[in-house]
Amino acid sequence: MANTVIGSSLIIDGEISGDEDLVIQGTVKGKISLRESLFVEGSGVVEADIETQNVEIAGRVTGNIAATDKVELKSDCRVVGDIKAPRILIADGASFKGNVDMDVKG
Amino acid sequence: MASPKELSGPAGNTVIGPSILINGKLSGDEDLTVRGRVEGELSLTRTLIVEPSGVVKANVSVKNAVVSGVVVGNIAATESVELTRDGRMVGDIRSPRVIIVDGASFRGRVDMGELPPGRPLPERPRTQVRPAVRAALTPARPPVLPPRPAGRAPGPAFVSSRPAESAKAPPAPPPAPPTVAAGAKKKIVVKKKR
Repeated sequence: MANTVIGSSLIIDGEISGDEDLVIQGTVKGKISLRESLFVEGSGVVEADIETQNVEIAGRVTGNIAATDKVELKSDCRVVGDIKAPRILIADGASFKGNVDMDVKG
Repeated sequence: MASPKELSGPAGNTVIGPSILINGKLSGDEDLTVRGRVEGELSLTRTLIVEPSGVVKANVSVKNAVVSGVVVGNIAATESVELTRDGRMVGDIRSPRVIIVDGASFRGRVDMGELPPGRPLPERPRTQVRPAVRAALTPARPPVLPPRPAGRAPGPAFVSSRPAESAKAPPAPPPAPPTVAAGAKKKIVVKKKR
């Protein structure tokens, strides 16, 4: 239940780090590094490099994403940047531009 | 538009959880509850609540601030600043209303701005401050103060005047402001062990 929410009218310019789930409904610029899950909701805007375990994106993200577990792009999201994660899901309707790296061993 | 409710509680309220560190600039138009750490700069048009686990090392400008955790930095509030029983703060406060309850610890300046007409000017509060407060602050006014060190006299005097009441609820507004206003130009040191 230790849940952090960045509300829709909030703007953060800087670095966010922590060990718990983070829900973004507002705007974050800079850098995000978590050891848990990040949720970017429909109203959320992220212009940051992201390092987490899981990411679920329904809003807008500009920046590179590195996840240790999974990245999920929901429909209606807009993502520009490179994604690196062992599991990457892109739903129908999502818009994405960038590289995908699932770390497949050749 | 209907979906972003499922994960959060009441809309328009931001919570920074206990393990989260934010370093940088934070601004917004909603209430913010800090249980983790915020460093840098913080400006809101509404209320900042620093909970007991929260640490804010930032220059803060808000409408209201309620400090139950730690704040290092200056707070400028357009309405009020309240240091609760668990609040600890080092920095200056600029706000028309400042509430410091018993148990809070604070080091810094207080500026309540222009006092409303009818009250003595902050320049010379010693001419005509209410006798009750004066009596509590300097009991006998001897040339040499007895064992009690001068620096600590104001703290115990004004907090111990009504300990039972302030422990339950914030004290009635009238007693607090003049006490702090009287020392507004000096450094105020409130330190009290619980």
